Parts: sequence; structure tokens; C-alpha cells
Amino acid sequence: MTANLMRDPGDVSAGQHRLQVITFVAGKYVPIILLFMLSIVIIAPMVWTFSTSLRKGKDSFTVPPKWLPTDLAIENYAEVFEKVPFDRQIVNSMLITWGTVVGQLVSASLAGYAFARLDFAGRDLLFWVVLATMMIPIQAVVIPVFIFLRNMGLVDTLWSLILPAVPTAFGTFLLRQYFLTIPIELEESGLIDGVNQWQLFYRIYLPLVKPGLAVLAILSFNFHWNEFFRPLIFLIDNENFPITLGIFQLQGYMMTGSIAVVLAGVVMSLVPVIIIFLLGQRYLIEGIMRGAIKG
Amino acid sequence: MSNEKKMSRRDLLKLAAAGSTGLVMSGLPVRVIAQDSVTIKVQTAGLDDNTLQPVADIMVARHPNVNVEWVVLTGIDHEEVAAKILALVAAGESIDVGYAATEACQLFAGQGLAAPLDDLVTGDPDQDFWTDFFSDVHPSLVEAMMYEGSLYEPPRDFNAANMYFNTNVLAENGFDVPGPEWTKDDFVEIARGTTKKDDAGNTEAFGYAWTNRLWGSWMPWIFVAGGNLYTEERAPGGDWVWDGYYDGDAAADGRGGGFRWREPIANSPEVVEALQLNVDLWQEGVTPDIEMGSGQTLTGFYSTGLLCMTPAGGFWAGRLGNEGMEKGEFDVQYWPNWRNQKHQFGTGGHWLATVAAAPDEAWEFMKIEVSHEGFQSSQFFNPVIITTPSRRSYSQANAFESTGPANSDVFYGTLDDHPSTSPIPAPPWSNPMTTIFTTGTSNAMSGAMSPKDALDQMQQELEDLTARQPQYYGDD
Amino acid sequence: MTTAKGAEVGGGGILHWLLQDTMDGMRRRRAILGYLFLLPTLLGIFIFTAGPVFVSFGLSLFRWNIFKPPDYVELANYQRLMGDVRIAISFGNTLKFTVLAVATQVSIGLLLAMGVHRITQTAMRYYFRTAFFLPLLMSGAAVAVVMGYIFHKEFGPLNYYLGLMGVQQIPWKTSADWVLITIVIMSAWRNLGFTFVLFLGGLSNISREVLDAADVDGAQGFRRLWSVTIPLLSPQILFAAVTGVIGAVQVFEEPFIMTRGGPGNASRTAVMVLYEAAFKNIEYGYGSAIAVVLFLVILAFTVAQMWMSRRWVFYQ
Repeated sequence: MTANLMRDPGDVSAGQHRLQVITFVAGKYVPIILLFMLSIVIIAPMVWTFSTSLRKGKDSFTVPPKWLPTDLAIENYAEVFEKVPFDRQIVNSMLITWGTVVGQLVSASLAGYAFARLDFAGRDLLFWVVLATMMIPIQAVVIPVFIFLRNMGLVDTLWSLILPAVPTAFGTFLLRQYFLTIPIELEESGLIDGVNQWQLFYRIYLPLVKPGLAVLAILSFNFHWNEFFRPLIFLIDNENFPITLGIFQLQGYMMTGSIAVVLAGVVMSLVPVIIIFLLGQRYLIEGIMRGAIKG
Repeated sequence: MSNEKKMSRRDLLKLAAAGSTGLVMSGLPVRVIAQDSVTIKVQTAGLDDNTLQPVADIMVARHPNVNVEWVVLTGIDHEEVAAKILALVAAGESIDVGYAATEACQLFAGQGLAAPLDDLVTGDPDQDFWTDFFSDVHPSLVEAMMYEGSLYEPPRDFNAANMYFNTNVLAENGFDVPGPEWTKDDFVEIARGTTKKDDAGNTEAFGYAWTNRLWGSWMPWIFVAGGNLYTEERAPGGDWVWDGYYDGDAAADGRGGGFRWREPIANSPEVVEALQLNVDLWQEGVTPDIEMGSGQTLTGFYSTGLLCMTPAGGFWAGRLGNEGMEKGEFDVQYWPNWRNQKHQFGTGGHWLATVAAAPDEAWEFMKIEVSHEGFQSSQFFNPVIITTPSRRSYSQANAFESTGPANSDVFYGTLDDHPSTSPIPAPPWSNPMTTIFTTGTSNAMSGAMSPKDALDQMQQELEDLTARQPQYYGDD
Repeated sequence: MTTAKGAEVGGGGILHWLLQDTMDGMRRRRAILGYLFLLPTLLGIFIFTAGPVFVSFGLSLFRWNIFKPPDYVELANYQRLMGDVRIAISFGNTLKFTVLAVATQVSIGLLLAMGVHRITQTAMRYYFRTAFFLPLLMSGAAVAVVMGYIFHKEFGPLNYYLGLMGVQQIPWKTSADWVLITIVIMSAWRNLGFTFVLFLGGLSNISREVLDAADVDGAQGFRRLWSVTIPLLSPQILFAAVTGVIGAVQVFEEPFIMTRGGPGNASRTAVMVLYEAAFKNIEYGYGSAIAVVLFLVILAFTVAQMWMSRRWVFYQ
């Protein structure tokens, strides 16, 4: 696109030419400067969070705000673990998130494959039903689900979050799109090699949709690691909480908890997703760019 | 069996030795606790499990077969903790002992989740324990834990809304801590006199601040203006406690079987006037914008000298110390007199679940918690006071020696010296009532509605809410 | 034992028959395999999503506090809902929030993407991409906690810097006029990364020839944006709008943590009144009636979006 801006000045008069150069320079640098300023505004709250988490509790609300973590008050991080069972809550978050992600990868790849590559009566109708449920948020059905989980004796267990999250309309849809992009000729060649139906799915197709699996895994990890509403309702005891509720708890009764300690909890909750993001960045960004759209 | 009895007797001996009032051995057969391993599930609010661990330790030391398991539920205020307890029971999980402040006492009693304790108290062979307990606890606290004639919780702590002062800010502006009979006008003068503004008109230091909730907030002003959210009647009954344990105590005269808050009166002229006062102070910039759960802001303001006055109870004494305030930097006084000086309080304690799997052990735990040993070990009251003890003997000046405030005698004095003091309104439908109250409050305190309009709407909502309730209170 | 399709085959036999690679009975085998593969998803969706929609309808006809047997009250919950000011305001807030949040995310995300798309230098592209994407990794709860401090009227860094520019202290969280805007800003801050990356991808997919053709036609500036870029990005814009709406109608933790729905009802949302009815006031029937209305609102949104996408979305 930059190329398009640099149009041949060719036969225009000198005055027009200068104007064009100015417009070109302004056109090129003003947006970058604006973008740069905006990026600072966008990052600033995270920097503030990090530096305040390392400041002594009573200096949390300093005006003017300070940006460098000068005190290095690491004890705020230790205090998180004293205030709430944060170690346990990290484990809970891990179990809930990974349990859900793995469950979704299995169920959605099976279902996505079936919708994309298997032929059976009522397929399109069933696909339409699955698609329709994608629009129904958990909030609209939370009461019956709570009652169901209660009758199953699952309330206040990690299963109450994992089990209902495994069937995923979004994941099924996403992976179906990926399976559809694989040329059908491949299947015939696979059959010739004497592969059975399971091997065809597991050995031939599944490896080819790895980018789709990665996208689903990362999006799902980010979503469920950060979930708040379902844990708030389905979990009751502190010990079973994920860290999103742990952070909420750190604010304490009447929000009397130390701000620096709360922010230390926030920083720690961010570490795993940032690691996952750095590892899977390519898949995630490319996945959002391509996979989710084509339909 | 005899072995068990001996165990319990030894416990009693220990109790007698440690107790400061000197219990008399009665010789009656003491209650027997089973030897099989038993776990009691005790629900605590906030992060109180550490705080209460010493009480559990006493329980386990006396009854090695008992294991205390904490169910820690949190919320920003009492109504959210109550909601969690309801969800817990709704989910079919059993607890043996639940926590409730005044806010939720009638809620759990009204739903039949809490068990009346009358027979357990009167039938307890160890009557000296209860004689001693009730003699040490003001009758108004006991009455606030009653519903339709029955007692549901032995009070463990209470907080009455008193006024806290930052004494440095007072002194800088030429004020002293006012006397116990100060008035609303004195208050307004101090609040205005301690407010500082910059050139742009932004307030730099506030005279007065509070948090949007049921207890504290502007509710104390409703009481001293002569109003209330609901009409306040006494249920009949409760003679067993007043005649049985408070005989001859003048403070117990005329008490009944708990309060009945029947008819909403939220838009009465007194309530409108009380809200108007607070809205005026806010518009003048004397009071900052109010928020729910703004405890951090409030302590932040207060400990940095940016705030002079705020409503709080004994719970603030230790917490301000934890925030780095030295003894003498803050003090406390009764709520100012307006049309009257009627104070409000809330009290807290544990209730016995009707679904308790181990009711005997649960009851034993509840007794230990409010015993002398319980009060001497619980971290609520040791090493510093972080909530006001319900037992008078632990609320004396020496308990506040290390933290202050100097006027710590107002905490229990609010009960002893102000007979009109009564609990915040908290009917069995207190959860939705609280939402309506805080919503109406911030409607007026954000300038979105006039105090009168906000309270008219609040009244309408409260009337609708009350009309929807099943009959929780008897006819007379 | 492993006769091809005999009814007498055992479990292992069926599995073998299903998976074998001969052409014999292949269509039927693949159909059965299809149902098997779908079973976990369909069963789960039936139990946890589709079924509960109907159960909600049913529950909404009862008065039930879960501790006592339910009372059948016909449409009383809906009658009450019609006259409940709190409900009307909260659904209104959700609608306002949804429109504002989606519009902000889409428009600013588009501008950012167009800006970054022009940048050719890899390092700078990487920096901007990461910077704009990072907030998406934070939970709504963490954002609400952090922003609660940032937006604090007296102590917040934001008002401090605005003050340096001569702006009066803004009551971000405590004024009915501001609070919804504050929550929109918060949510846009977090979700910009998603729309930004989406549009960046869309822009790089637009073929050079199309843009060159537009250049030849002399399409410049706003006209080019309106008549060339936006139509070409319409699939991405639709996707951003659909996912944005799904997310926005669920708005809960931001106001729940930061303002508790206040001041007044100014930041109370549809999901919040549902939560309060069912899980705070133990009115499961009334809560279900609110859930049914929420469901219908979402349905209306979906139908509207499908209708719009037919008319408007241009697939390259």
C-alpha cells in the first residue's frame, strides 16, 4: 500500500510537487506518531499495574502516579498467598482450563470432521442446530444448568465448569471450516493406502488441521482462564476458586485489601496467558486473521 | 461412656480454671460428644478462617475426634456472603455452622435454614455457662439475634455506627474531638471546617466520607433524624431469655422476641431530611462521591490525612493500626444528636444449620466460640481488636490500649448508655431490600435524582417487595 | 465373528466393521460414524444449552426459592417484569452498551489496522501488533479491578493526567452520565486487540489489483475507505460485529466488580439483574423469566444481523 502512495510525480509542476511531498511525509509519519501515542496509552494501565504491584501498600495511590517500580516490594506477591489460597487457585485454574481445552479439542474435532467429511441423514439440520446454539450465552441458561449440576452433585467442584464447557458450538464450527479446506482427493488416496475410517480421521485429517486446533486451543485457553461468571455461580468454597475469583477476593471485605497485593495477584494471573500467547502467537493471530472468517 | 464423661469433666475443669469469672462445677451430667471421628463444616465470612483457627484448635484439643473444616465464603458485603450461603445450601451441600450478621439473621431463620437455639440453651446442663454469658452481653445484642420469639445466634461481635476522627486534621483546623453530646450542627461545622479545596474548586481534603451499604453509610442519620426504613415492632415471646437470664437487668425491660420490620417508611420526612443533609454535603464538596465497597479509598483517604470524619465501629480500631496509623492519630465519639441520639448497630455470630450433620459437635463449637477461652484466643480480638467483642468484659479500655482510640468506651457505651440503640432494619427479605437501599442512595448521591424522588422510588420498590413476601411475621 | 454387517456381531466386531476400509456398506458405516463423532457435542449441547432454554421457559412460570416446593404462577413473573423499573433500565443499559461497545471496537480497530497495515517495517509492525493485542489476555475481572483504580476520581492516574491538561476531575465511576461510557472504554481497551488483528488480516487479504483499480478510478481518502476498503472488509466487519455482540450482551463482571451496577441503576446490566434475582434474592422463577427475555433479545439481535449480512456483506 505504501507503494500506492508513492505515485510518480512525473510531469506535475514544482509547486504541486512540493505539496505532494509534504502530504506524503505527513501521510507517512503522522499516523505512525499517532499510533505510537495510542500504543502508549493502551500499554500504560499494564505498566502501572506492574509497577504498583511492586510498591509499598501505602504508596499505591500516589499523585502524581509513579511508573517505575522503585521499592521492589516483593512481599506483596508473598502476601497474595497468605490472603487467599492462591497456589491452590492457580492449580484450579490450570485444571479447569486444560480440562476444558482438551475436552473441546477432542469433541470439536470429532464433530467438526463429521460435519465436514461424513455424510449422513440430517447432517445439515444438525449443523444448523449447533450453529444456532452458538448465539446462546451461558447467562441465558445458567439457572437450569445450575439446577442440573446441583442434582448431579457437581456444584462446587471443578467438573461444574469443565463438563458444560466441553461441547462447543464455536469450536465445532471453526474446525469444520478447517476440515473443509482440505481437498477431498486426499481421502481417496488415503483409502487406497488401506487406512480405516478412524485412521483416516486421526492419521490423515487431524494433522492437517493442526493450525485450527491451535487456534481453538489458544482462544479457548484465553477465554476459560479468564472466566468469571460461571465460577462465581457454580463454585462456592474459596478452595475451589480459579484465580479470577481469587483476585476478586483479594479486594477483601468492603474492599479493604491492599491495592498493591491485589495488583500482584493480577500480574501473576497474567503470566500463564502471556506465556501461551508468546508460544502460540503465530497460530493465534493467523488463526483470527484467516480461519474464523471463511464461511 | 464413663470415659467420655470424664473427658468432658476434665474439659470443664480446664474451662473453670481458665475462665475469668470462675465457673461453678454443677455436678449435673455434662453433654456427651461421640468418640467417632466427626467433621464439622463451619462457614466463615471473608478471610476469617485464619482468624478463627484458634477457636477450632480449642475444639480439637477438647474433642480430638472432631475435625473442623472451614467453608470460606466471600463477598463485598453481608448480602453477598448471604447469597453465597444460600447458593451453598441450594446446591445441596450441608454445613453445620453458618455465619450471619444482623443483615442476614432473619433471612436464614425465615427460610428455615437456621435452627432455633432456645431448647439447647435452656436445656443445657451447664447453665452457669449461659448465666455467665448473658450477664456479659448486652440484651439488645441478644434481641437482635431473635426472630419470632426464638434465639438463632449467640452474638459474637457487634459494631455500632460511631464517628471516627482524624485528630491531626481536627487539630490543624482548630477543632477538638467533640464531647459525647455534640449535635448535628457541630458536625456540619467540623465537616465544613476541615474541607480544603484547590483553586480549581476540586476538594483536596474531605470533611466527611462514607461507603454505600446498609450498615454505616447514611443510615445513622436516618436514626438520629427520627426515621427508619421500616416500622420497628417487637415480636412477642423471648421471655425465656429475659426472665431466665436477664432477670433484674433494667436494660432488658420491655424487650420481646426479636424485631418485626413490617411497613416501609423510606420516604417519610425524617428520612428525606437525612438524605438531603448528605446530598448537600456532597454538593458542597465536603463529602466525596460515594461508592459501594470503597473501603480502600476510605482507609486510604483517612490514613493519608485527606479525610476528617467517617462512620465506623470498633472494627476500625485495629484496621487503622494495620494501615500504619499510630495511637492518638484517630479518635471516636458517639453519633451526634439531631432529634434524638438513637444509635444503630449490627451484630454477628454463628447459627446452627437445621441440616447439620453433626449438630452436637456444631453446638459445642458455637459455645466455645463465645466462651471466655474463645474470646481470649480468637484473632478477631487478639492481639488487636478488629471487630467489637459482644462480651462487655472484652470491650473495655484495656483492650484498645495498644491501638487506641482514646474514647474506646463509646463502643460498649453505645449499648449501655443509649437505651434507644437498635439494630439496622434487616427483615428476612434483607437481600433485595439492601439492593433497593443502596440503589436509591446512589441515585440521590450522584445527583441523578432529588432526595425526595429517590426515596419515593425506594418506598415504592420496598412496598412492592414487601407485598411479594410470604408471611414471615406473626399477626401479633 | 467379524461378519460384515450381521446383527449378531459383538462390540469389538461392530467397531471393526465400522472402521474397516472396504467399500462394502461404506455409506452406512460412515453415516453411523458421523453420528458417533457428533454424539459428545450434540449430547452436551442438548444438556447444557438447548435443553436449558426450554427448561428456562418452564421455570419462568413458577415461583421458586429452591428451599420450598415451587408454586405455579402462570405469567405472574412476566407481569412483574413488565412493571419492574430496574429490569427496564438494565436491559436498556445492555442495549446501549452493546451498540456503543461494538461500534467503538469495530471503528477504532479498523483505524488501527489501517494505520499498521501501511507500516512495512517488521519490527514496528510486531511492536504495534503486540501492544494492541496484549490487553486481550487480561480477564474482564482483572481489567475491572485495575480500571477501578485507574478511573478513580481523586486518586486515579487518568484524572491526574487529564488535570494537567486542564480537564476537571471526571466522575468516571460515580456519575450516571459517565459510568456506561467508562465501561465502554474499559471493554474497548480490552477487545481492540481482537478486532485490530482481524482487520489487519482482512486488509492483507485484499488483492493489490482491487486497490490499484480503485487508485486508477481516483478513489481517495474517505471515499476510498467508504466505497472500497469497508465493502472489501465486510466479512471481517460482520464477524467482528457478531462476536462483539455475543460478548457485549453478556457484560457482567466489569460493572459487577467496579460499580455493583451503580450509581443508582446506571451500570446495572441484564445479566446482573438475572444474577441478582436468582442467586442473590433466590427467586429462580423470576430469574428464569429474565433469562427468557434475555434469550429473546439475543434472538432478535441474531436475526437482525443475519438479515443485514445478506443485504450488505460482500464476499470477495
